[in-house]
Amino acid sequence: MTPDEHHVDPQVLARARARVLGAPSQPAADPVPPGLTAASDGDRVWLLPAWPDGATPALLEEYDTAPMPLDRAGQARRVLAAALRCCWTRPDDAPWPSGDAQVTDVLEVYAGMSRGDADLARRWATGELRRLADTGWLLVDETAGTVRTGPRTALWHEDTLASLRDLLRRLPAPPASRPEAAAP
Amino acid sequence: MTDLYEPLLRPYDEKRRAELVAAFTAVEHAAEPVAELRYPALREPALRRVLGEMLALQGRVLIRARPKEWTSGYHDDVAAALAADPACVPPAEERAVLALVLIHSVAIPRASGLLDDDSWLSPHPTPLEELRRRSQLPIGELEAALRRLRNAGLVGQVKAGGDDAGGYVPGPQFHRLTAGARRRLQEELILAAGPDSPLAAAIRARRRGRTAPPADPSRDRERTP
Repeated sequence: MTPDEHHVDPQVLARARARVLGAPSQPAADPVPPGLTAASDGDRVWLLPAWPDGATPALLEEYDTAPMPLDRAGQARRVLAAALRCCWTRPDDAPWPSGDAQVTDVLEVYAGMSRGDADLARRWATGELRRLADTGWLLVDETAGTVRTGPRTALWHEDTLASLRDLLRRLPAPPASRPEAAAP
Repeated sequence: MTDLYEPLLRPYDEKRRAELVAAFTAVEHAAEPVAELRYPALREPALRRVLGEMLALQGRVLIRARPKEWTSGYHDDVAAALAADPACVPPAEERAVLALVLIHSVAIPRASGLLDDDSWLSPHPTPLEELRRRSQLPIGELEAALRRLRNAGLVGQVKAGGDDAGGYVPGPQFHRLTAGARRRLQEELILAAGPDSPLAAAIRARRRGRTAPPADPSRDRERTP
């Protein structure tokens, strides 16, 4: 006896599922459901939305419509910038996929960008890294202490990257890479 | 990749097409329902129908949240299919915290006549201390659950100020419930808060009438003392 059968087109369901899960990943060999954008790092592929006519949510600005609110948006952006400064080491290429950077380096760069208590800045940035990882902007491996760009950065249009590259060049450089980063 | 929306958009000139894309982006990504005054594709019934078809490709429907204001949400059948997929169901801690926020910020004020009957948004915050006490979660887990619920727009934070201690309220995603989803949520809350009440018995009877009987019909009787 089956409960209530719901007749949903499997492709529609696959797209709805990708939306619910944020940016879910699957082995790179698995088929990507049609109507989604695939961002692959070689081993895995992340499923991202494909918007009509390439319109991004940034379109809302033109209509004076507020996007989903983000707590401490300024801090989130600065921590993302510090992380990009460390991960996106070949700025002429696309930000996705990037190599691994040390989380401690990102915290240092962020502390160098902020005024005031550096320890406090590192603590704030640690929480922010987690939030950016939850939302697919970064991939953070807490055990290894490494961070790389997240699949959502693959949705940035090439023609919007110039100002971001300029901005990142003006940020403090990450500490010279050391095999064992000192604990704060 | 072929554009999923192309067959729907192709018949329209550039201006109409841009209006459809703008309205689609707005209902899908804006925090709050958007006014049809600003989006021609929401104002004109013919374009609104196309917009509905674009949303249907994503398992979504257009929702009139307030007069002349629109948003989007999951189609009821899609929501049911997603809820049956364990990967799509949030962990128990998040569901527990969200249920507490709904009880304190919506169900209790509604029972006292402070909120209207069909809204899941509320100006009455649930204090963090209340969440801590009732959820019995360690503070670290509670904070992680709240962080994820806030990221998802399922709860919003109200800062302390004046006499108000601040806390958490249902987030902007609650605009996106269909009429069917609002009714089910209301019923679930009644079943959870008063499983032995006549109202709960009526809900169970109605659900039994609507769907095939459950494999174990004694399941519903276990709650009876």
